[in-house]
Amino acid sequence: MFALVFPIGYFTGLIPINTLTLWGRYFCLAIAALGVDLIWGYTGILSMTQALFFCMGAYGMGMYMTLSNLPEGQLLPSFMVWNQVEELPFFWVPFDNFSYALVLSVLVPGVFAGIMGYFIFRKRIKGVYFAIITQAIALAMFLLFSRNETMLGGTNGLTDFKYFLGFDLRDNSVKFGLYAWSLIALGLVYWYCHNLVNSKFGKSLVAIRDSESRMRFTKYKVTHYNVAIFVIGAMVAAVGGMLYMPQTGIITPGRMDVQASIEMIIWVALGGRGKLKGAVIGALVLNLMYSVFTTVLPSSWLYILGGLFVITVLYLPKGIVGMVDQMKEKLNGMFVKTA
Amino acid sequence: MKKKISIFVAFLMMLVGWSQEQEAINIPLDTCVHVLLHKDASRLKEVAGYLVAKDDVTTYPLLSAVVDKRLFSYKGTAVTKFAGDTLYYSVYPKIQVISIQKEKLSEVKLPRSIRTKFNVLAKKVNLVHPNKNVREMSFRSFKTTGVLSDVNFLTSLKINEKEEQVLLAANEAIYSIWLKSNNVALQNKALDDLETEVNVHMLESLTDYVSNTTNSQGKERAAIIIEDIESREKIINVIQNLFSGISLGSILLLVALGLSIIYGLGGVINMSHGEFVMIGAYTAFSVQQFFIGFLPESWFDWFFWVSLPISFVVSGLFGLLVEKLVIRFLYSRPLESLLGTWGVSLILIQLARTIFGDVTAVKSPEILSGGINVTEGLMLPYNRLFIIGLTIVMVLLTYFVFFKSKLGLKIRAVTQNRDMSASLGVSVKRIDSLTFFLGSGLAGVAGCAMTLIGNVVPNMGQTYIVDSFLVVVVGGVGKLIGTIISAMGIGVLSKVFEFFYEAVYGKVILLLIIFFFLQYKPKGLFPDKGRHSDD
Repeated sequence: MFALVFPIGYFTGLIPINTLTLWGRYFCLAIAALGVDLIWGYTGILSMTQALFFCMGAYGMGMYMTLSNLPEGQLLPSFMVWNQVEELPFFWVPFDNFSYALVLSVLVPGVFAGIMGYFIFRKRIKGVYFAIITQAIALAMFLLFSRNETMLGGTNGLTDFKYFLGFDLRDNSVKFGLYAWSLIALGLVYWYCHNLVNSKFGKSLVAIRDSESRMRFTKYKVTHYNVAIFVIGAMVAAVGGMLYMPQTGIITPGRMDVQASIEMIIWVALGGRGKLKGAVIGALVLNLMYSVFTTVLPSSWLYILGGLFVITVLYLPKGIVGMVDQMKEKLNGMFVKTA
Repeated sequence: MKKKISIFVAFLMMLVGWSQEQEAINIPLDTCVHVLLHKDASRLKEVAGYLVAKDDVTTYPLLSAVVDKRLFSYKGTAVTKFAGDTLYYSVYPKIQVISIQKEKLSEVKLPRSIRTKFNVLAKKVNLVHPNKNVREMSFRSFKTTGVLSDVNFLTSLKINEKEEQVLLAANEAIYSIWLKSNNVALQNKALDDLETEVNVHMLESLTDYVSNTTNSQGKERAAIIIEDIESREKIINVIQNLFSGISLGSILLLVALGLSIIYGLGGVINMSHGEFVMIGAYTAFSVQQFFIGFLPESWFDWFFWVSLPISFVVSGLFGLLVEKLVIRFLYSRPLESLLGTWGVSLILIQLARTIFGDVTAVKSPEILSGGINVTEGLMLPYNRLFIIGLTIVMVLLTYFVFFKSKLGLKIRAVTQNRDMSASLGVSVKRIDSLTFFLGSGLAGVAGCAMTLIGNVVPNMGQTYIVDSFLVVVVGGVGKLIGTIISAMGIGVLSKVFEFFYEAVYGKVILLLIIFFFLQYKPKGLFPDKGRHSDD
């Protein structure tokens, strides 16, 4: 539907380009949700750093875009000039090159997740303890990114872009191109995750979720599995973040706080935990609701979101996908009876 | 030409006016008071000019009453009343409390032109203000503005002064003036005195002296004194930080206590626990509004003490409600409970925002303002001391409930083994609800206490929730003693790091330390002994 109806609608003029961009953003968030599903849905690790990795990807792309958007002759982004920085900080230098930026935006979150995951999983810290520690790390990173000294734009984040790879971002065809790329990326990531969870590796993850001790006793290196999936999830989120960046044109530390991560988890929970379809559906549905309700009834959104958290946890343990499956089964049962 | 003449004439007139004032050299002060009280228009101006020129210490209370528009006449004596005070004082010849009949009191309203005449003395008249804090402030203001000629009356006022803090300020003023003067003998006298008594407030004057003086011997002596002061300041800073660390730790402890008990009991991660803190704070606010609206003003100072137990009950009841509606279904499903209660917390925050708006504040009761002056420069505020005391009381109460009461026995039984307790006849559901009530109530008390040191905002619980979780994790789940130690440790460390590094980096360092601590002790300070199956 998104591959056919929306583009046709757009080219026939029925759907405005901004709707498409909006959906493009949802796709990026859905990519991050796939990462959450891999970590939480399949492996049973509740991580609160997914939004952080998403933002790291976005910041990587943002750094490239900041540098490539500098006016002729200006060597430093304006916020650095305001902070009396004379020279481009060393970690900004590689982001001047698009392909380096592309690789680093995924690699940096991956390595960060790897180090963090290794230290935590090595000591078999899991469940609630894992959630709380990652929550604390997310908070620490949020605080660091908000500082001016870290040279990442402080609380204002990175913004004010006109061009991306030389294309004008206000141009409709460029917007459409980004939409298409997001959709393609979502498809690719989905396909990759699908293969992953159906491989032996994926089955082992589910086994870890259901009984970690038994996996250990049968000589599986659970720690390695955990670290691996944590890194993969982080990199997937970073891909989403990278594509998100040119479409919104702004990234701030506010996007990586604890609340953002928990919201990503509720997308997956609402859509259907442990089902890739569920992650995508949950992310799309909830973000659509967010857009609708914040424009129609701004003050009610937190009530609705909070209510959804409660309802999902209490009544929809398998999410929307699980509910649909259940209804299908019931319908089938009725058919069998009547037949 | 005409213009020049007119200027000259004006100048002459000024001279005449000035000399007239000078001529009236001896008006008895009693007469001056009489003129002011009766607003004798013919002599007012003359008397005002005379009083300003005379600059007599004994008239200061009178003049300050004129400047502040609170001069009254009572049976021929000049009387004043200070803001925020119900007593009346006579102002001349001596300032003292007098009893009066209100109906015979009349306010003396002097024209503005007369009042402003005294403004040149405004700085001095506060030196005899009955409030010691005002006196201290005005003495201190002479440190920068005073000149050598001021020393005489500063010394004369100092002799009658009884309050230690004001005396200190007076000395500071005199020393600073001496140091600023070019008189080497006076400078040395100041240095002699400063060498014997270390005074942290003299740092600035001494530094100025060092950079201005050419006297190398004096320079050396001053440098040594400065060093003394600085090392003393460092110690005071450390103590101050330890103290605020302990008070932060107590708040964390109050919050974390409930969190830890609830998690230990039902395996529930209650993300909405911070919101019970918020509810406690808003309860205190509501009680305050009730006192303002419906009860006599003199009762107002009682509102805080009334709101403490009410906060406990209201937060506890909210906790009970949340337990019945949501958490009941989530026992032993920690991760789901984390998500569900996060939802509850969103709803509660938005609810508070809808009802109360964004920022409100609660006024601290009078008795908790101010603090204990341990030494000069080191003050322990009463409100923080109160919070620490309150925490000690609450912890002791919790201890007794847990380890000395039948309810506590049952709670501990359910914490250890839910099914076993149920089969032995403990009503697990009732224990769950009661524990939740207690835990949320503790958070409510914490919220009520927090109104003493900060504003009341809808998301105030969120600021403490991550830290409180860290306290629980570090202390070991459901362990009273572990929670106490880790709360104090985290509180003190975060203040100390904040002092040495900037707040953000301090926080990051603290988080790193916790991170590595858990590498070493993944189950917290006091893990359960024995082996458990995880799955």
